[in-house]
Amino acid sequence: MRFLKGKMPKSSPKIMRTKNKNLNKADKKRPKAGSNRRDRRGKRISILYLLPSVAGVLLFFVLPFMIVIYYSVIDNPISGQFVFFDNFIMVFQNAAFKQAARNTMMFSAVAVPLAVILSLLLAMMLESKIPFKSQFRTFFLSPMMVPIASVVLIWQVLFHYNGMMNEVLEWFGKGKIDWLNSGYAQVVIVVLFLWKNLGYNMILFMSALSSIPKDILEVAVLESASPFQIFWHIKLRYMSSTLLFVTIMSLINSFKVFREIYLLKGDYPYDTMYMLQHFMNNTFGKLDYQKMSAAAIMMAIVMVIIIGILFLTENYFGKDVEG
Amino acid sequence: MKNRNNRLTSFIAVMLCVIMTVLTFTGCGKSGGGETSKKEFVYVPEYVQVEFEVNYIDTAVSIGDTIYLCGNSWNEDTGESKYYLYKYNAADGKVDTLSVEMGENDSLGRMAATPDGNLALIVFSSDYETDENGEITDYSQTMELRVISGEDGAVISSQDLSPVMGNEDSYVQQFCVDGKGNYYLFDGNQMLHVVGPELQKICDISVEGWINNLFTSKEGDVYMCSYGETGMEAKKIDLETKAVGAKLEGLVSGYGNQNYYAGLSKSILVSGDEVSLYDVAAAKQETLFSWLDADLNSNYIQYTGELSDGRIWAIYNDYSTSAQANTFELILLKKTKASEVAAKEEITYGALYLDWNVKQNIINFNKTNEKYRIVVKEYETDDWETGVTQFNADLTTGNCPDIIDLSSVNYTQYANKGVLVDLYPYMEKSGFNKADYLENILEAYEVDGKLYGIISQFYISTTMAKQSVVGDIQGWTLSEMLDFIETQNPDNVFPYGYRDSIFYYCIYNNIDEFIDWKTGKCSFDGSDFIRTLEFAANFPDSSETIAYSEEEGISARLRANKILLMQQSLGSVQEYQMMNGLFGEKISYVGFPNNEREGNLVQGSGGFLGISAKSKNKDAAWEFVSSMISEEYQQSLVAENGSGWGFPIKRSALEKMFEQDMTPEYYEDENGEQVEQMKTSWGYDDFNMDIYAATQEEVDEVRKLIESVHRMSGNVDQQLMNIITEESAAFFKGQKSAADTAAVIQNRIQIYVNENR
Repeated sequence: MRFLKGKMPKSSPKIMRTKNKNLNKADKKRPKAGSNRRDRRGKRISILYLLPSVAGVLLFFVLPFMIVIYYSVIDNPISGQFVFFDNFIMVFQNAAFKQAARNTMMFSAVAVPLAVILSLLLAMMLESKIPFKSQFRTFFLSPMMVPIASVVLIWQVLFHYNGMMNEVLEWFGKGKIDWLNSGYAQVVIVVLFLWKNLGYNMILFMSALSSIPKDILEVAVLESASPFQIFWHIKLRYMSSTLLFVTIMSLINSFKVFREIYLLKGDYPYDTMYMLQHFMNNTFGKLDYQKMSAAAIMMAIVMVIIIGILFLTENYFGKDVEG
Repeated sequence: MKNRNNRLTSFIAVMLCVIMTVLTFTGCGKSGGGETSKKEFVYVPEYVQVEFEVNYIDTAVSIGDTIYLCGNSWNEDTGESKYYLYKYNAADGKVDTLSVEMGENDSLGRMAATPDGNLALIVFSSDYETDENGEITDYSQTMELRVISGEDGAVISSQDLSPVMGNEDSYVQQFCVDGKGNYYLFDGNQMLHVVGPELQKICDISVEGWINNLFTSKEGDVYMCSYGETGMEAKKIDLETKAVGAKLEGLVSGYGNQNYYAGLSKSILVSGDEVSLYDVAAAKQETLFSWLDADLNSNYIQYTGELSDGRIWAIYNDYSTSAQANTFELILLKKTKASEVAAKEEITYGALYLDWNVKQNIINFNKTNEKYRIVVKEYETDDWETGVTQFNADLTTGNCPDIIDLSSVNYTQYANKGVLVDLYPYMEKSGFNKADYLENILEAYEVDGKLYGIISQFYISTTMAKQSVVGDIQGWTLSEMLDFIETQNPDNVFPYGYRDSIFYYCIYNNIDEFIDWKTGKCSFDGSDFIRTLEFAANFPDSSETIAYSEEEGISARLRANKILLMQQSLGSVQEYQMMNGLFGEKISYVGFPNNEREGNLVQGSGGFLGISAKSKNKDAAWEFVSSMISEEYQQSLVAENGSGWGFPIKRSALEKMFEQDMTPEYYEDENGEQVEQMKTSWGYDDFNMDIYAATQEEVDEVRKLIESVHRMSGNVDQQLMNIITEESAAFFKGQKSAADTAAVIQNRIQIYVNENR
């Protein structure tokens, strides 16, 4: 990427930011009567404007999280005896929790990269000059418009023991597979997840692709860069923030796949489909708030670590375009 | 000027911020829905002193402030009945008894108020002859519309209704009079006849189904209530279109448990569990009070109405089990400020469904206790799970009721979670000796040696087989049961044995055979479970019809060994006697299959109560709970005729029950000699039996059966059963093998077990 440095067009974000910084510095140097008072007033007003949002965050996020922490260190919500880390140890040793954590990690590890890579490929494909572009885009976006209950119904028809997939298999002379009650269950869920999420991710990538400055790409072509070099050194770097966003969203959505599994198989599905949220949902239903809270906190810690790593990665790869 | 504008803008901005912040918080207060809020007004009952000389009150109406009650008394000695019409003037409190002229074979059907202040009666007259054997021949019945004076009861007019009703089989089932004096007669055959004051025909309106209520509104319009698409629906009878109109919107019409009357302040007075007024023009219903809050049992409210000063009148018909007689009371309920009524400390009673016995006990407690008052909080919704979720939310947020009815919830789960207090220390403190009660029954409800819930009476849920076939055994394991059935090769196991029900029977009370909670291992993929699946598959699917002939009923099939087992809940010695008769020989009470061979289960009835560990009024709560096991209450559960609703848990009451069952009843024959007569008679399918006094041997057998019980029934998490029934369906349809089905069940239940250890 040597040829890019110092040759950024004036419209690039980095140059713009530098100009703005200079302007701010100039502003600061200019003495103005009563500016301190105005600043303080401005701060006060901005705090007042922020107050409803802050209150909302405190009330609906911070406070519930504090309650979750409280529940995680008591024996049960009725007697409320302090037990320190006992719940964490108990949950960590629980076979169902371990199974759920393993399944959730496995699912996210497979589904998230697939969702990111496939949607990026689709976006690239729709960027190029192919016929029926608009129809393809609509096709991939259509799962987003279908209510989840209907999606599950379709999936049940497809993957039921007497469903369409098994009919196809029988047509090819293969035996029936109990898709939702066997090791194949997670494959079905991965496919369902991709079908539901590819369209949204693809749109995000398409928007990121279209915002890459055309002159840089033109310069790269003039400098005889190969398509792979253009993709790897320019496009991917310009899309790093979108890539991070899509990865985080896919990761979050991968945890939400519980909804589909729950509608398909209820509280206790086949073990390969049993996710962390099943564990939490079921323990909540049985008034085991302490177990649920301990599991939620452990999951939150892991999530924070994963998202932190993703941010660090994005910072590393996207630093020269983000400034 | 600019500064002033800036200040104004800043002020508006600040105010907006404050309002938004306040609004953010307003949604987070405690909602009133889940709480028992204090009411501003209450309805206080006043009992009118009327010496009713009647055995039954046939009908009652009010015209303005005058209440008319018509009833009859039956003289057992002479075999004659006499009608009385009571007229109570609520304005001056005067009661008059008017004479009602009724023939020997006349009976009163219905009564309604006419617009001119008189009473319209439907009188049935029967005519028959008897042959030499006393059998009735040539039976005929006529119907008469009789209008009597509201002043003195004198007959004003009398008209034969036969021409109006037409069909001989027609019988006036519902009757009322509209504001113009037209009569509305429902014949029970989907036809509503509307006639003018002189019985001139106005129209016949065809109605779908059965009319539960036919009533007149304050405005003089007539409405009918029947089952529609959305449950009970009230619809106007429209004489202009001569058809049934649209349903009344905004009227909560319940599920047939409500009665409707003309209101005085508003269109319609509705009486169900609550009393409310409905305004037709505004399509709004306003609740006045609940009968329970007025210490009255809604099940005993026979008629009600509104008076001009806003008071509500009611006829309260309480059937006393011990006296086996009806007692009637005329009650006037006056709207009173809650502050004017003696304040009592409230304790809450929470239930998904309010038990009949508990309801009466709450009323008795509230009437007699000077310090505490029980307030009922029902979690009943159309969806059981929603009720449980709401209940659980109340538990964890500290809104938990003081007394909890455990009949419809997972008792063991709540006991293990520390929701309930151990009742043994309370029993000990209050002088209730455990040895005075059936200890094995109490122990069946123990969790880790502690008693978290208590019942007042119980049934024994068991399975019976002929002793000559199955042997003299007290219980069996699942494999023993399957071995036995397979060797017998019967037509069916049970009288109506479908594969789902047989499979459910084998598993439901025996689930611990397949789950080892200590090690967390399940064995649903083992040979026993697979064998059970295959065994159940031999029986008919629930969509098939099991061949049944009237000549060969359950008793005949049992005696011929065509069916082997019968599931039954026994709650009295008389039922035991009847079952012996049904089988025709000695019975073995083998119970449900179970690894410990203890398959006879206790099934509580009449309320299953526990006290919340979070209750601030545990002693007051115990005061009520203990009333259910008190000597007085336990003795009251023993019905004079022996056909009670379960065995009492107190030994003294149980012994009294046995004593009554063994006491013969006599009649004096024509020679003046005492001859033992039957106490009652029982019937079951093709079998009928006269029950005489039980023998000591029979009572001893029942006692032995009661003492053999050590486990409670129905203590299985429904989620487990849902997994099993859901997965076994594919096997029963022939889509999967038993082994594959068992493997999936094993997989899913293993997660359940792991999660709950």
